[in-house]
Amino acid sequence: MPRKTKLADKMQRTLGQAPRSTGELARVPPVTLPVAYPIEALVPQVRLQTPAVGQRATRPDGRLHGLGQTRYIDDLAFPGMLYAKIKRAGIAAARILSIDTSEADAMPGVLAVLTGREIPVNSFGPSLQDQPVLADTQVRHAGDGVAAVAALTEQIAEAAIEKIKVDYEPLPAVFDPLEALREDAPKVHAPAGNVYATKVIRKGDVDAAFARADHVFEGRYATQMVEHVPLEPHAAIAMWDPNGRVTIHSTLGRITLGRSDVSRTLKLPMNRVRIVATIVGGNFGGKNEITQEPVLALLSKKTGRPVKGVFTRGEEFTSTTTRHPFVMDYKTGVTKDGRIIARKVRLVLDGGAYCSWSETTLGKACILSAGPYRIDNLRVEAYVVYTNKTMTGAMRGFGAPQVCFAYESQMDEIAAALHMDPLEIRLLNAFEEGAASPTGQVLHSVVLKASLLKAAERFGWKEPRS
Amino acid sequence: MKRRGRGIACMWYPIGFTVSANPSAATVKVNEDGTATLLTGTVETGQGSLTVLAQIAAEELGVATDDVHVVSADTDGTPMDTGAIASRTTYVTGNAVRLAAEKAKQILFETAAPMLGVKPEQLEARDRNIQVKGFPQRNVAISVVAHRAQVVMGQPPIGSASWNPPTLAMDPETGQGKPFSTYVYATQIAEVDVDDETGEVEVLRIVAAHDCGTAINPMLVEGQVEGGISMGIGFALQEQILFDDAGRQINPNLTNYIMPTTLDMPEIKVDIVDSYDPTGPFGAKGVGEPTSVPTAAAILNAIHDAVGVRITSLPATAEKVLAAIKAKQAQQTKRIAAR
Repeated sequence: MPRKTKLADKMQRTLGQAPRSTGELARVPPVTLPVAYPIEALVPQVRLQTPAVGQRATRPDGRLHGLGQTRYIDDLAFPGMLYAKIKRAGIAAARILSIDTSEADAMPGVLAVLTGREIPVNSFGPSLQDQPVLADTQVRHAGDGVAAVAALTEQIAEAAIEKIKVDYEPLPAVFDPLEALREDAPKVHAPAGNVYATKVIRKGDVDAAFARADHVFEGRYATQMVEHVPLEPHAAIAMWDPNGRVTIHSTLGRITLGRSDVSRTLKLPMNRVRIVATIVGGNFGGKNEITQEPVLALLSKKTGRPVKGVFTRGEEFTSTTTRHPFVMDYKTGVTKDGRIIARKVRLVLDGGAYCSWSETTLGKACILSAGPYRIDNLRVEAYVVYTNKTMTGAMRGFGAPQVCFAYESQMDEIAAALHMDPLEIRLLNAFEEGAASPTGQVLHSVVLKASLLKAAERFGWKEPRS
Repeated sequence: MKRRGRGIACMWYPIGFTVSANPSAATVKVNEDGTATLLTGTVETGQGSLTVLAQIAAEELGVATDDVHVVSADTDGTPMDTGAIASRTTYVTGNAVRLAAEKAKQILFETAAPMLGVKPEQLEARDRNIQVKGFPQRNVAISVVAHRAQVVMGQPPIGSASWNPPTLAMDPETGQGKPFSTYVYATQIAEVDVDDETGEVEVLRIVAAHDCGTAINPMLVEGQVEGGISMGIGFALQEQILFDDAGRQINPNLTNYIMPTTLDMPEIKVDIVDSYDPTGPFGAKGVGEPTSVPTAAAILNAIHDAVGVRITSLPATAEKVLAAIKAKQAQQTKRIAAR
């Protein structure tokens, strides 16, 4: 029987049967919330004043945010809309031998099932296209999606993904970034090695400078993996129009890149893809690339209905990008009066299973790693490696909070050893207007010393301590 | 016993990103009544960037923030934008918006010049008027000019522009180059109490002095700083995704992944450092990400100041701090015993 007729039959059957008593199959009609807020907006005085720059102007929709009346994607519904769920691997490294979706497909209320093999171009990524939309041959971290369903309700979709059977052949895995660096470590993206980007900065003569330093300090610092935890999870709704065009409402923070990724994965010309970003309930770098958008688009194409997907809090942790854990080795040579004359930095970034924004993070971390200090002799080497863990990507600071923790911890160690005030040693080494950065860039509008002094004054740093 | 400590940390942070160009485009349409509509491909993700962009367009056009309505984030209807990332919206998109508004304003000037009997170069836009520089009483309302431009001159005041930060690729061998157009600077100082019997750290107050160039909207800058600090506190003391031996997360929920709440927030004092960047719109740079950069370092330095232990791996959980305090005490006891 042709697929179309089967689907139509099934929809008929499901809708006709929908027994209210069992609960599981109860059909919930899509509901759009009524407009509850006053359409007449209150405009605070400050938004009406000129000149505009420097004003403490509020957002036009700030009041609704405060009242909890802002409509996010989860508050939107379109007629006939379906709900999608993605089955997660739950195993960190494995070959996929088979995926059996027949039982899920046969469930009443399930209107479509999708696996990675059905995705026209099953890979994406902002710099390396190394991430599958749904894993089809190999799982590289436990949060990988392996199949998806679209159903009449979220509950049915959730029950259906439990019925999907995936046969795995476990593969050796590596979780520690330093272990992943070793030649004999399991390769996450075999046959390629685990190091997928490196960066180097060289300035001056580090060895000679260390030789003439009065003191040399060495330390290793490490940071953990954290999540962005936006209040609103990743959410999107996909639907097609009669022109063969897909419109995706999404929580994406970068719609231009989102459109190019969707167009690539679906093999559609860009003018057949429209991405509309809604009010986003927090991004912090976690919503910079597509996640489920191609899956929803294909499920929508299969069923001819709008399809919504909203990640659970669990998926936010396991299946979206996180912050790179860093292992940072710092060696710093100083003169006896506290001036830094040489610094060697080695950074190893845990890149997780896929590249995502690792290359950018690596670059920023590398450039910033010496700190906002005038250091004439510098060597920085930075690597990002694959591990079989949740992918790491863009997150507020792109590697800067990690290296700042290292260079500022060591700065205090140096100050303590030299019996210097932590503020004074920073002022002594701080960048000034026209300073050369580690990459040889001449810096302008440098107000580091002003910020140090301002903070110290506000804190009461120089006042006697109780 | 609770022991008090203080710690300082400073940082620098670039605006925009490397690896590839990161342009933004914008369109500003001045309507017949003198209000304006701004089209931008960036996305409001809670930081208030659309308000800042409206303020930039308004400033250039000489109107108020509320006179500019912002349409954003639709790949069909709004111009290309690299996106709400890398602390770049105010600086990069802001420059594009200012240039687009300037182009629309130019059309208004050309329309107003014959009305006021001067050359377009002699005009400026202020307080919802087009006026002669140095002679503000010689003016005509923007609404009148905009209406005339469209209905009489047949030249609707619309401007489109794009901007990309000027950079120089880094040399792959030495890393030398100009990877970013500009940087911001900041210092945060934390005061903490550390309980030396439990290892628990309480952040009492944080002062933050941030540079963002011109603060287009000081309230939004303060909001960014407060939000960044709350993230920094979680990074410093609590948050950590944990994995079992098989590489599966064991705390992917908000019960076991502990985030700071409003109750954990210290007293925060924000200072905006005086600064002006000639390459930014009205001297502005950016502030989004830098706000969470120095927080953890300042807190960890404060812990060391309080109890004399240096935690070198984040987060500094109570268990970790207590273990370090006990190790230090054991060492001191040994030293005494050895005497």
